[in-house]
Amino acid sequence: MDFKTAGKHIVLTLALVVLASATLAAQPIYKFHVDGLACPFCAYGIEKKLNALEGVERIEMNIKDGVVVVTMKNGSALDEAVARKAVKDAGFTLNGFERLSPVSEQ
Amino acid sequence: MMAKITGYTLFKIFVGILISAIVLAAAGWSVFIPSAKEPSYQFVNAWGKNGSGPGQFNDLTGIAVAGNEVFVSDARNGRIQVFDLDGNFKRQFGNPGDKPGELGRPMNLTVHNNELYVPEYFNDRIQVFDLDGTSKRIIGSAGSDPGQFSAPGGVAVGKDGELYVADFYGQRIQKLKPDGVFICQWGTTGRTSHEAGSFYYPTDVALDQAGNIYMADGYGNRIQVFAPDGAFLRKWGGPFARGIYGPFNGWFMTVTSIAFGPRGNLFVADFYNHRVQKFRPDGTFLTSFGSKGTAQGQLEHAMAVAVAQDGTVFVADFGNNRIERWRLAEP
Repeated sequence: MDFKTAGKHIVLTLALVVLASATLAAQPIYKFHVDGLACPFCAYGIEKKLNALEGVERIEMNIKDGVVVVTMKNGSALDEAVARKAVKDAGFTLNGFERLSPVSEQ
Repeated sequence: MMAKITGYTLFKIFVGILISAIVLAAAGWSVFIPSAKEPSYQFVNAWGKNGSGPGQFNDLTGIAVAGNEVFVSDARNGRIQVFDLDGNFKRQFGNPGDKPGELGRPMNLTVHNNELYVPEYFNDRIQVFDLDGTSKRIIGSAGSDPGQFSAPGGVAVGKDGELYVADFYGQRIQKLKPDGVFICQWGTTGRTSHEAGSFYYPTDVALDQAGNIYMADGYGNRIQVFAPDGAFLRKWGGPFARGIYGPFNGWFMTVTSIAFGPRGNLFVADFYNHRVQKFRPDGTFLTSFGSKGTAQGQLEHAMAVAVAQDGTVFVADFGNNRIERWRLAEP
């Protein structure tokens, strides 16, 4: 591989990293816990309330472990207080709210 | 000497209290924890597993039997699947969505006059299909006004086609004309309570032959019964039917579905107790079946129940994504 080809590869790799980072940065993912989620009447209620929030793209629920993962649309963010209220409106209490991707800046 | 007498007296008092406590506990046990009055049921067979293919399920949330067919709410797959009584797949209809013919988390099913009534938790409506799967009409919309729904979980249909809808987040049971026009309701909209005539997340409704209305008060852990004119008749489920949950006979841990058998007895899906309980219409406990597990004949959360004309009971086994078939054990 000559110097020119290697340079092209480096530029391409950097471009992919930047693109991936930008995508991740624009589409944050949040995770939190809700106790007592085994019943679908409960789980669907939380899912329905969260789905009604602006910017929510996808919700994944592990009913058995009580874990909820919310993926937001590009450029949207999920405020913890808003998520907490949605879960409360569904009749439950939110625990351990964290942003999975990208990691919050300190 | 004095100390000896005092000690003896104290001992007698202690024994008296102990005996009284035992007698009270025994009396309470007999009052609040009834014994079975008929044999249990025996497991026959099961079908289904997690997936999206025919005969596979992703969250079973409702079941109904009509003639020789079993209709099943396959909630996350947004469809109704139909089987024969042995569990052989016959057909399916519906896709996830909110257009006519699509389904947003179908729940407890009811068949009346060759029509399938499907409460849709996400779409806040009752969608009526013919038994081949053609969507015929839609009743209700999202909201808290009369005739609107907030996550309907179950529906019963009266002789004249009137609807009784368990409005889960609405905390009420609504009675509607066949076209959806509001008639009356039980419970205060949006307000939970353990008082008689109030609800704590109602999930299902069933009617007996006389038109009395049986309501599954889901997280109220009880059954409430009302006369056709709306008057409160009775309630049961744990001590005083005040929402106390437990694993004993006649107690519940979240009632998610109810259905009448051919002899007029009521079957109750007792979700967190992983069992089905059977009662006389007056609330007398008869028997129960099911226990927690993944083996054949066990249940991982009993979500819904339906009874065929011959008395065979079908149970939606939520956690195991399968239907189980049970029948009364031979004496």
